[in-house]
Amino acid sequence: MAPPWLDVLDETIGACVTHRRPDLEARLREKRAQQLDPKLRVLVVGESKQGKSQLVNALLNAPVCAVGDDITTTVPTFVQHADTPSAALVRNASARGSIFHTPTERIAVPIEQVTKQATAQHVVRAEIGIPRALLDSGLVLIDTPGVGDTRSAHTASTFATLMQADAVLLVSDATGELTSAEMTLLKKVMEACPNVTVVVTKIDLVPAWRTVVERNRALLARAGVRAKLIPVSSALRLRAAKTGDQRLNTESGFPELLACVQRDIVASADLLARRAVAVVASSALTQLVTPLREELTAHDSSRTVATISTLQEAQRRVDELRRRSARWQNVLNDEMADLISDVEYDLRDRTRKILREVDKTYDEADPAIGWDKFEQWLEDNLNEAATTNFAWLMERAEWVAAKVAKNFPVYREDLIPGSVLPDDLLEPASKLEKPKIEPFSVPQKLFTGLRGSYGGVLMFGLVTSLAGMPLINVISLGAGALFGGKSILDESDQRLKRRQAAAKAAAQRHVDDFFMKFSKDVRDSGRHIQRSLRNHFSTLAEELQETLLESARSAKRAVQDDQTERERRMREGRKELDKLVTLYKRVQALGGPTMELSA
Amino acid sequence: MTLDRVVWSMLQEALAVYRDSPRATAWLRTHVERYTEPVRIAVAGRSRIGKSTLVSALIGDEFAPLSSFVWYRGGTEPRAHVFSGPGRPHEVTIGRRGSRHHVEIGQFDRADRVVVEWPARTLRDIVLIDTPADATPEQVLGDADALLYLMRHVQDDDLKFLQAANDHPIARTAAVHTVAVLARADEIGAGRIDALSSAKQIARRYRRDVAVQPLCQNVVSVAGLLAVAARTLREDEFAALRVLSSLGREELEDHLLSADRFVGEQFPLAMEPAVRQALLERFGIFGVRLITALIRQGFDSQVKLTGQLVQRSGLGELRDSIAIHFTERREILKARSALLALDVLFRMEPRQNARKLMADLERVVASAHDFRELRLVAALQSGRTKLPAELQAEALRLVGAEGTAPLARLGFDYEADPRDQREALLDALVRWQAQAADVHAPNEHRKAAQIVVRTCEGLLPQFS
Repeated sequence: MAPPWLDVLDETIGACVTHRRPDLEARLREKRAQQLDPKLRVLVVGESKQGKSQLVNALLNAPVCAVGDDITTTVPTFVQHADTPSAALVRNASARGSIFHTPTERIAVPIEQVTKQATAQHVVRAEIGIPRALLDSGLVLIDTPGVGDTRSAHTASTFATLMQADAVLLVSDATGELTSAEMTLLKKVMEACPNVTVVVTKIDLVPAWRTVVERNRALLARAGVRAKLIPVSSALRLRAAKTGDQRLNTESGFPELLACVQRDIVASADLLARRAVAVVASSALTQLVTPLREELTAHDSSRTVATISTLQEAQRRVDELRRRSARWQNVLNDEMADLISDVEYDLRDRTRKILREVDKTYDEADPAIGWDKFEQWLEDNLNEAATTNFAWLMERAEWVAAKVAKNFPVYREDLIPGSVLPDDLLEPASKLEKPKIEPFSVPQKLFTGLRGSYGGVLMFGLVTSLAGMPLINVISLGAGALFGGKSILDESDQRLKRRQAAAKAAAQRHVDDFFMKFSKDVRDSGRHIQRSLRNHFSTLAEELQETLLESARSAKRAVQDDQTERERRMREGRKELDKLVTLYKRVQALGGPTMELSA
Repeated sequence: MTLDRVVWSMLQEALAVYRDSPRATAWLRTHVERYTEPVRIAVAGRSRIGKSTLVSALIGDEFAPLSSFVWYRGGTEPRAHVFSGPGRPHEVTIGRRGSRHHVEIGQFDRADRVVVEWPARTLRDIVLIDTPADATPEQVLGDADALLYLMRHVQDDDLKFLQAANDHPIARTAAVHTVAVLARADEIGAGRIDALSSAKQIARRYRRDVAVQPLCQNVVSVAGLLAVAARTLREDEFAALRVLSSLGREELEDHLLSADRFVGEQFPLAMEPAVRQALLERFGIFGVRLITALIRQGFDSQVKLTGQLVQRSGLGELRDSIAIHFTERREILKARSALLALDVLFRMEPRQNARKLMADLERVVASAHDFRELRLVAALQSGRTKLPAELQAEALRLVGAEGTAPLARLGFDYEADPRDQREALLDALVRWQAQAADVHAPNEHRKAAQIVVRTCEGLLPQFS
């Protein structure tokens, strides 16, 4: 007939499966397999250098585990009964992998070398078999690497072995009382395996070991740990074994420890099993119950309150959005009107400055010389004016966008649009027309000169003819030359004036054209910016409004739906919880420590 | 300007800047005062690890442990003061209980700290601070310039403590202040007669352990009880131990098997159990075993025996370590503490006109050559920077990992005359300059070489 704890354990495993906790299930299954195994595993744990290996050696009266002054034990060593002494190392076949569930291989080694070779890589444990009456009943002593050592792999393997233990001997030496680290270790051990005996070693070294033992007992009592405490000296025991000194053996404290192992561990295997199962199963059940109960309480109260407050919040935000969307539109209109008027004024100011410069230049200079240069200069200046003006427009536009964004009801990452500008701006205005420049050629000069000189020759010829000279003489010819020269000068002066006026008029016309064209462009782009900003922000506002309305709607739905759905789930949850609590009570009845758990 | 002077002038400047803040001024005053004092060494570790025993061994007089911070500083005559809460300290008497001195602080149940002035040679250039076991790293290091950390085998908790002690940007750039002590070395070997030499081997292993090495400058093993015995062995005790050693070796060994047997009724010699009990308490079972063995080996006068015990207990090595790592580096340790204090001040009371000082602080921490040397030592020891093996050893020696005196840096183990030292230095300088200029070497390698070159250049004026 199966023992009663087996049924309870199986039911707990079933509960773990229904609640989808494969981790707990695996742990329980492992425990189950181990409890069905007739072997009794006694784990020897403790911090490093407390005398764990020596304790195992002294228990068996054989140097099976290596002892040394530095960190010696690096892998768990299993010592069990065998008719002839034998030893083996168990190695992970694959180089990497966890301690469980990896293929392993056993290598037989001579018993005296096992501890030396155990330090090799990938060795997960050493197994030693020796013929001893103590181990006859299926007792397995497991020596472990020290806990809290800096090489954490050792500690990990100790905890992995802990899961398989039926009973634990916690070793602490008598040179000091139990440290807080050791107390933590003890509590951790108790969680996995409740059958703990504390062994205080090295009492031969310490004169005041009795005080240490007393203090340790007090510490255990204060922490609420019901564990036996036995002081021993491995050194005395080993020496007693060598010399056969019975009295020394008694002094070592080992007879008491052995009796305790026999009585509490070997003889009461069933009680141990029940206790261990009770602890493991109740810890698993507690883990199952806690989230379930939390869910139930959450259903009861906080959920409804939360849904209603979500609804209210959503409605409030929709109102807020409506109220504030009027504001950003006003801001956009005002700002853009200001912007366009400012930009236009700026452009006019710049072109006027250029025209003044042109006037000043052509008061002096002759357009016939270096017109090309002038043309280039004018073009450059106009371009510069346009570019500066346009840059200013862009800057202002961005500023406007930011200002509108500031007046927008919520903040988002994409609130300021990336680009609001049309791309096809700054087409060149019409080409500057070259003013009509009348050339003043040599025949024209000759003709003008002749025309001027004709008057002079005639005038002075008549006067000199009175003096009996011929009409054409030296004086009349000289005067003719003078008059001719003057008329040529006058004529060319007049022509220059005409040319300058023409150039000025041409420049004026060109600048006007430019202004017309460009101010139109600027206005257009201003309006374009305004439009795209408006579109951008109204799209955002719509999106936002839609989200808010949707969340408000869903919140409303949730409030309505919740009622029925919740009641159904509550009923189911309660049923589950009741089932688990009943199971828990049965687990408790197995004889584990009592823990409070109520529905 | 040397680091020492730079930091001193920074402290003075800070005093001027913060003259209107009483709290800051008080803080700075204590640090200015501390700057000129001997190095303060805190002794920390778990409870019952032997902190007070070690302090007693270093001082050379045995003091009973107290449950608060106890400062031992040099003085012309024994005096003790208790600081408890605000207000003036109270003078208390130092009494005797058995072989121990005991500071009578009975009426003060909660003393912040007890300051004992004691005429001892050791205390001339150090101040020892015995700390309670439950003190946090911040409390321990708040007042101390350096740390002796006691542990048995290195456990995770110990590493955590040491990491916390180094957990500050400035502290990290100058990890200079810790010597780890494997205390209770006699128990490591389970009281066997060769326990001490095996403890020394374990200490050597930890010195090379990657987890331990970056956190401390050295690891030494010390058997506290033996060290105290070495410094305070009395004549009557010596006589009693001589009597014990006159017993046959086998027979004595039988009775030294356990503490219980040694003080038990069936003892072959006519020696009062009380005397035996006293011996056991003073020296431990291992101490009695070792001392009787030593006497049997011929160290049969008190002077000879004391010499042996100082050497065997590890006390000698510990004192050397303190000298090399703490006393010789007094200036840098003090500078480090002062810089930490300034950093605290600047963070607690940031000010506009302290900007320059804050920049100075950063510059000193980043660029002071002494700190650079230390960082190189740490980098080389932790393996962050790698040099070829023979170069690594020389670099470590030159930048002062084995002592900052020129002799130690140049690797002389005898008192070489200045000419030889100069030769050796110039030789090293030329070789390392070549290393620093080697274009084929990796960058970190060249950087390390540059620091070594700078060190050599700094040594040069001493020999010209």
